[in-house]
Amino acid sequence: MRTIFHLDLDAFFVSVERILDPSLEGKPVIVGGDPHGRGVVAACSYEARRFGLHSAMPIRTAFKLCPQGIYLHGHFKEYSRYSRAVKNILSGYAPVIEQASVDEFYMDFTGCRRMYGSMFELASHLQKKIWVKLSLPCSIGIGGNKTVAKIGSDCMKPMGITYILPGMEKEFLAPMPVETIPGVGKVTMRELNSKGIYKIDDITKLPSDYFAAAFGKYGIDLWLKANGEGSEYLTVEREQKSISKETTFGSDVVNKEIIYNTLFELTGKVCHSLRENNWQAATITIKLRYSDFQTITRSKTIKPSSDDDKVIFETALNMLKKAQTRRVAVRLIGIGLTKFNEFSEQEVLFEDIEIKRKKLLRAVDWLRRKYNYSIITMGAQ
Amino acid sequence: MPKFFIGTAGWSYKDWVPAFYPKQQSGGFDWLQFYSHYFNCVEVNSTYYSYLSPRVVESWIRKVIDSEDFTFTVKLHQDFTHKKNFDEKKIKAVNYNLDILSKAERLGGLLIQFPYSFPFSDVTADYVRRLSEIFQSYNLFFEVRHASWQNEQAMELFKKLNLTFCTIDQPQIGKSIPFEPVITNDKAYIRFHGRNVEAWMKSIHSYGKEQSYEEQSERYKYLYSPGELVEIQQKIKEVQGKVKEVYVIMNNHPQGDAVANTFELIHLLEEKIKVDMPATIVKAFPRLQTIFEGNGKSMTLI
Repeated sequence: MRTIFHLDLDAFFVSVERILDPSLEGKPVIVGGDPHGRGVVAACSYEARRFGLHSAMPIRTAFKLCPQGIYLHGHFKEYSRYSRAVKNILSGYAPVIEQASVDEFYMDFTGCRRMYGSMFELASHLQKKIWVKLSLPCSIGIGGNKTVAKIGSDCMKPMGITYILPGMEKEFLAPMPVETIPGVGKVTMRELNSKGIYKIDDITKLPSDYFAAAFGKYGIDLWLKANGEGSEYLTVEREQKSISKETTFGSDVVNKEIIYNTLFELTGKVCHSLRENNWQAATITIKLRYSDFQTITRSKTIKPSSDDDKVIFETALNMLKKAQTRRVAVRLIGIGLTKFNEFSEQEVLFEDIEIKRKKLLRAVDWLRRKYNYSIITMGAQ
Repeated sequence: MPKFFIGTAGWSYKDWVPAFYPKQQSGGFDWLQFYSHYFNCVEVNSTYYSYLSPRVVESWIRKVIDSEDFTFTVKLHQDFTHKKNFDEKKIKAVNYNLDILSKAERLGGLLIQFPYSFPFSDVTADYVRRLSEIFQSYNLFFEVRHASWQNEQAMELFKKLNLTFCTIDQPQIGKSIPFEPVITNDKAYIRFHGRNVEAWMKSIHSYGKEQSYEEQSERYKYLYSPGELVEIQQKIKEVQGKVKEVYVIMNNHPQGDAVANTFELIHLLEEKIKVDMPATIVKAFPRLQTIFEGNGKSMTLI
């Protein structure tokens, strides 16, 4: 049996906002932008949750429920800094860490009992350390696998510690509602409820075949999770760098010219960031969301890698044209760049024309740095 | 844990009133004395512009008499680092003032700062060697700003001559040296110039032109965010076990940003939950509220 910790930073974005502005303490705080806009709640304080607010709720709905809340756009760079700082502290203790998101970490402490003693005390120490050093509250779940640990960290928030003793997983999960299982959203919950399945216990009483027939592979996975089983191994990837930009239109758009122009503008911005970092990207990804929320992403790897607006835009536009097959209005468009290599002028600049273009792009970046991004606009052709 | 000396580059800034220095000041009120009540170190920058009268230096010692471990670090005159135009007389003038501080056990060391236009080469390395011989009686902190110095040969030179290689945080433009603590002897000297890329670029283009104090200072206008400070603290922590003394100097002085950040770094680096500071600074920088120690220890106005 393994010993997996799941550490979840409590209302993380709000906690960081309170470090930046202590007067937000004790108030309903919502991070997510303009309360009259089309965004969603990225995070909200426990005070705001008392009004029925929760993450991913449309921000307009949130405003109706809690007009007295303090609505913030958020300091996302600052969240990343604090997230890295938390990981840095944890890496002093855990032999293996998987960062599941900006505010969630899995750690594998299997075999560490001799070094740290009680796992509960270790969790308490980590919680205290992150609180004292960074003023961030967190909750920790300890279990034999990732699923149980995650459910554990979620059931005693904020500043909770839940240790699910080996062999007690099924009993621990039994009385909980089905939507407690990670990955069970509103749609699955409704479907399960319609079959008379409300608690996790209801799932375990039925054979796995029943869920396989109803939900396929996902159903088997669900049944296993309900029985206290789950992945015991952490996914440790090397740091994935990406640069992306997306825009949700003020109102859904049908006009392709507007969509393409927006993609062009977004491309300019990501390429600018790319060159600021001295990187070139090999993989370009586009994201398209229709007004009915159907979301399509397409990726393409180019060779050689590039930091040139023209090359990247042409690739992205081709993908978009192929991907946009429905005659439905578009809600969101985005572009992302990944797989970077550091730019080396000597390696690629053999031809005069490339040198000239490279100089042009550097000059554009310089002007943008000196004045602002929109001081100069490049044509699409 | 090493001994931390955490302070600012200079103390005499009018725009620190009223955030740090009080608005109402009696005739006898002294800024350095007030400063030394809260911080244990200051980097003297006026010595970069002029050769001060020894009487001035002696008066500093009198003013910090109540602060037992208060330490000065002194920036070397630009004649040595930027103009390369010095003689025995100038060396003597520098030594004289350093010796006054040293005898009073108030000298941390001499900061020798070179500009960006001083990249690593055999010639510049020789120049470092020459200055280190001239000022060999003092702890020497060498600051270079060009990334070409980040190489093994340069580090070996610093280690061999027992010089401190300053760690600096500055806007990342061109081949600016990045913030990466490097240890070359038993001391660390860390300077923060802010990360105001735009104003820094502007200042490069205005080099040599006549500018007002506000224009000159703009490049240093930068308030480090709590997240940036936490990242800085964690990087310093990685190396602090290797040294006996760590000097941390905030040079982002406009409008008191350096003062606010210095209090925050005292909290982070010295692991103090609460820090003694005047209430006025908390008013100007409300995020300091969480580390503010309002225990009435604050200096009463003279």
